[in-house]
Amino acid sequence: MATETPTDDGAGESGRAGLKANAKWYVLSYPLFWLVAVFLIPLSMLVVFSFWVNIPGGQYEMGFTLENYVRFLTSSLYLGQTWLTIELSLVTAILSLVLGYPIAYYLARMNRPWLRSLLLLTIISSLWVTYVIRAYAWQVILASGGFLSSFGVAVGILSEPRSFYPGYWGLVVGMVYVFLPFMILTLYSSIRNIDDELLEASRNLGAGPARTFRKVTYPLSKNGIASGTALVFILALGSYVLPRLLGSSAERTLPVLIEQQIMSESNYPFGAAMSIGLIVVVLAFLWVMVRFTNVTTASLSGSDEIATDGGSEATPAVGSSSSPIGMRIRSAVVDAASVVGLTYVVARIAGGVDSLVTTVDSSTRESIIWVTFRAYVAAAMAFIAVPLAIIVAVSVTPEEFLTFPPGGVSGRWYVEFFTDTSWMGALANSLGIALGAAILSTTIGGGLAFALDRFDYRFGTIYGTLGVLPILVPPVIIGVAFLVFFLEVGLAGSRTAIVVAHGIFYAPFPFILISQGLREIDRTYEEAAMNLGASPVRTIRTITYPLLRANVISGALFAFILSLNEYIIAWLLSLFLVETIPIEIFNQLRYSYPPTIAAASVVFIGLTVVVMTAIDRLSGGIWE
Amino acid sequence: MSGISLEGVTKRYPGGVLAVKGVDIDIESGEFVTLVGPSGCGKTTTLRMIAGFETPTDGTVGIDGENVTDAPPYERDTGMVFQDFALFPHMTIDQNVAYGMEAAGEYTDEEIDARVAEMLELVELPDVGDRTPDQLSGGQQQRIALARALAPKPKALLLDEPLASLDKKLREQMQVELRRIQQEIGITTVFVTHNQEEALTMSDRLAVMNDGRFEQIGPPEEVYDDPDSRFVADFLGTANIFDGTVASVEDGYATVDCPDVTLQSTNPAGVEAGTEVSVVVRPERFRLRDASTDGGVGLDADGTNVFEGEVTFKRHLGSSVEFRLETDGGREIVVVRRSGLDELEPGDRTTVAIDAEDCRLVEA
Repeated sequence: MATETPTDDGAGESGRAGLKANAKWYVLSYPLFWLVAVFLIPLSMLVVFSFWVNIPGGQYEMGFTLENYVRFLTSSLYLGQTWLTIELSLVTAILSLVLGYPIAYYLARMNRPWLRSLLLLTIISSLWVTYVIRAYAWQVILASGGFLSSFGVAVGILSEPRSFYPGYWGLVVGMVYVFLPFMILTLYSSIRNIDDELLEASRNLGAGPARTFRKVTYPLSKNGIASGTALVFILALGSYVLPRLLGSSAERTLPVLIEQQIMSESNYPFGAAMSIGLIVVVLAFLWVMVRFTNVTTASLSGSDEIATDGGSEATPAVGSSSSPIGMRIRSAVVDAASVVGLTYVVARIAGGVDSLVTTVDSSTRESIIWVTFRAYVAAAMAFIAVPLAIIVAVSVTPEEFLTFPPGGVSGRWYVEFFTDTSWMGALANSLGIALGAAILSTTIGGGLAFALDRFDYRFGTIYGTLGVLPILVPPVIIGVAFLVFFLEVGLAGSRTAIVVAHGIFYAPFPFILISQGLREIDRTYEEAAMNLGASPVRTIRTITYPLLRANVISGALFAFILSLNEYIIAWLLSLFLVETIPIEIFNQLRYSYPPTIAAASVVFIGLTVVVMTAIDRLSGGIWE
Repeated sequence: MSGISLEGVTKRYPGGVLAVKGVDIDIESGEFVTLVGPSGCGKTTTLRMIAGFETPTDGTVGIDGENVTDAPPYERDTGMVFQDFALFPHMTIDQNVAYGMEAAGEYTDEEIDARVAEMLELVELPDVGDRTPDQLSGGQQQRIALARALAPKPKALLLDEPLASLDKKLREQMQVELRRIQQEIGITTVFVTHNQEEALTMSDRLAVMNDGRFEQIGPPEEVYDDPDSRFVADFLGTANIFDGTVASVEDGYATVDCPDVTLQSTNPAGVEAGTEVSVVVRPERFRLRDASTDGGVGLDADGTNVFEGEVTFKRHLGSSVEFRLETDGGREIVVVRRSGLDELEPGDRTTVAIDAEDCRLVEA
């Protein structure tokens, strides 16, 4: 990747002060250009826009009015929907925690590495498949005449087909399905970091499994619980696709309403005001988290939790709390929230099982718990894997609709997909945009990581936070902010616009991965090279980059796969002019359900799994 | 081959820490000089300024008569062996050794191959060229690091505690090996260590560093036998140190009053009466008084310094035995004797003697 281009001069040459001082700003200017000029400016424009005056009919004019905010804050509809968004996100986060903890625990403690890799790869692969396809999978399952309903009728539970969506609980199921993998992976790395010897010590001291869990495992995984819950909550708050595709008109969440204002009403100022409202909710929540727990913005970005084992070395983060009051409230909050939520449920179950079988000898007792565990994990894994399997099934059915049981195997939908020029055009667009975004985000993230690793900056922490910030902003807001920006610049509705937006939005992934790689490189390798006469450029080319290659390529592939699967930003910036595969699938879902969608989805899922496996191979199992 | 010169070299780190406080040394062509001192004394910083990884805040660094103070590391032609060897993990041994010549860009592939083979021969590992560094033992990695540093024919060899990570047996073996190779090719060498034994056994000259300064520079015997300061005496080897004040001076001798004893020492530098000094006595210089003569502590009738006391401790050092003697005044005297004499056991009372000629006077 191009990480070496902006660094020709400085490269760890602690020698010549003058050159170094220049090189340091030279290197930093590239990532800062994107993150400040092309990211912070659109976000600021959003703030400005929210005070501008809307002229009905899709026009707006510069000015200053509070009308947009007044409308937002006085309408019971918008306030009600804001609360609904928060409630839905909380329900999703708590359900994900309760469902995810046992799975994460099982994964972290199991002994068979191959099975663990397989399960993790399943979870991780589903994580990256576009929300559009995953929401579609649940439509197929929940629809009247869909999988669940026809199964119910077939086994006689239902007397007649009925639909389980759109509606609140259908939406909750879809949300949990989509965000559970984030929770599992975050918890997994934090539980995996717990030293086995601690658990053995606890057992050696006579504590049963329930007690060991309550007194050792749970307290040590508290941080994982806090970051997992926060991560899922924030992701759910910003979620657009699921509420749109699985919710009824009563479940229009804030992101859905924002998109409507922008794309249907063309009321940009009001859409901007609502976006600010959503940002305020996210910031308020983040403030509470950072203030009262150990969670930092860096660990919230998720990727360092997911990509490294536990993200033990936190990337520059906004200050974590250390004041005594903060500590007290923090533990109160964490205890109140998660002790009640989690320990109560899990430990009661474990305790119940424990006391039921205390008469049996302890090894039997443990195996009973272990078996129960496995059954549960199997069910949960099915929950994660089956929806995508159903898409595969739909894609090979000869009929227009999936029936139960399916009536044969056919490749006609694939033929249709690969011969349809609009699908192929969308595929080409998707791949092109993802490639551009991957290169852009790797140069931004890599440049910033390199600069921060090699030089001391007065505001290094701020730059580091800037590096992870984009991913914390709900994508719908990124989309709206870039839209108003590109409308002014005259780039809206182009592929370039989407490449730039994706490139910046996903820069945190290469940034975190490459930062981590740079931290792990022993600097004496570079000194040795220079001592042997290698110029800084040669040193970077022959030593630094080869040692960093896996991180750079993984970072680029992450950005690629995420851009490939992204919907809402691309949709907002497309202005109906650019089609990508997620956009195309989404559009088709509005009108009908041709199984071509399923075929397109399967091709897409396949692509995603291949890239994810490549990342895994490359980095020698970064999930471990 | 060529020498290295440091003139008034000073390093102040951002934040104000003064790591090196104006050091001067002229290292002859082909000479093996050791910088030795406790951790944090500035020896590694000094070496890194020679290599070009740090730039002096003040003073000049010269290599081969050329001022390289501001030259970057890759234009200095030094070969460095790092503490953890820093063999490139993504390259084979051949590629590691060839790296410097390839960077120089002045050699043909044939020349490089021949030189690599020659270097591997020199370090007695001719058959490991295709392996990767992680397939080699610590001692082998160390040799390869040396071969890599020497391959591009540097003007000077810089060694940054290269033996620290090896076990004792291997370390001793490598000390000999390193010295053999260095003498074979006659390269100017600067060796940094905190290990005083290494410093004494390997160098032509050693420079004892303390708190950013050279305390003393000289051949090992001289520095050991004639320390310039209390610090040098104490840091190199074991020393009995008597802090006191010069009471009187005559004919190149000084009488020194310590709180518990009065001693006579040579005074070649002519330290004047009233000066605060330390008298340094190496433990192997003591003689054992035979039991018939008088004991006591201090100057006896012949002008010899004697110490009567009880043996409190004995340990074998291999070729020698160390005793600790406690005088009635409560002072501990360390005495080293050839092993196999079976003279003393803990609990014995004995008297040891030291002539004024074997005492060294240093100003406190």
